[in-house]
Amino acid sequence: MSETAFFPDQFSVIQSKGTLDWAYASFILASTAAVMDKEVELFFTFYGLKCLLKDSNGLKITPLGRPDMVVKSPIGPEWLQKIDWNQKLPGLVWTLPGMSSLATKGFKKQLQKQGQLPFDELREMCLELGVKVTACQMTVDLMGFEASDFIEGIEFAGAPSYFVQTPATQSLFI
Amino acid sequence: MQELDFTGLACPMPIIKLKKFLAESSGLREPFIVVLSDKGGLKDIPAFCQQQKLFCELKKTEPFFVFQIQRVVGANE
Repeated sequence: MSETAFFPDQFSVIQSKGTLDWAYASFILASTAAVMDKEVELFFTFYGLKCLLKDSNGLKITPLGRPDMVVKSPIGPEWLQKIDWNQKLPGLVWTLPGMSSLATKGFKKQLQKQGQLPFDELREMCLELGVKVTACQMTVDLMGFEASDFIEGIEFAGAPSYFVQTPATQSLFI
Repeated sequence: MQELDFTGLACPMPIIKLKKFLAESSGLREPFIVVLSDKGGLKDIPAFCQQQKLFCELKKTEPFFVFQIQRVVGANE
């Protein structure tokens, strides 16, 4: 039996990014894998730890330095909603005060319009579905966080604990 | 026939709700209907059903996607 055949139903993500868009990406994939009977493990390290804080309002997006980001208005006439402002406006615009909050607000509205759950609910649902969530203890200490800063139902461990039980293949690094 | 309305929900919520429904109605053997608006569901619902050993048939595509789903007798038991 090959190594991969030995772990046929596992899915894992190593999350190092702590922005709202990437937080959604991981938890959406995790919830999908969990309902398809996969054993799911999410390992949060470095800035990815922000995805696990009780107060998730710190999860934001900014088009600054992100030429890949699509920034569209969730409100207004149809022609207006089709414009990708990250392509139209000079990058300097995103340095103005309040732009990150505006982009984050728009992104949340867009998600809501599409039928996605608010982030806190999505995260809670993943835990209910049995997704195993681990915060990297080393980076928790490095960033000066306390265990009490994080949501209930997660574990604290190091990378060795993660690697000992995750599949030989099919890990994503976000 | 029982109908589950998943219109307005985006991936992965339709399959999460479908899975919850299946868990809550483990004795159900009759077919039921799933209605959804998510375009990805056209591929995702059959893929999920195949993996969960459910019989799945696309009945309508307008104005929403309508699937008839039924447990395969003997599967998952």
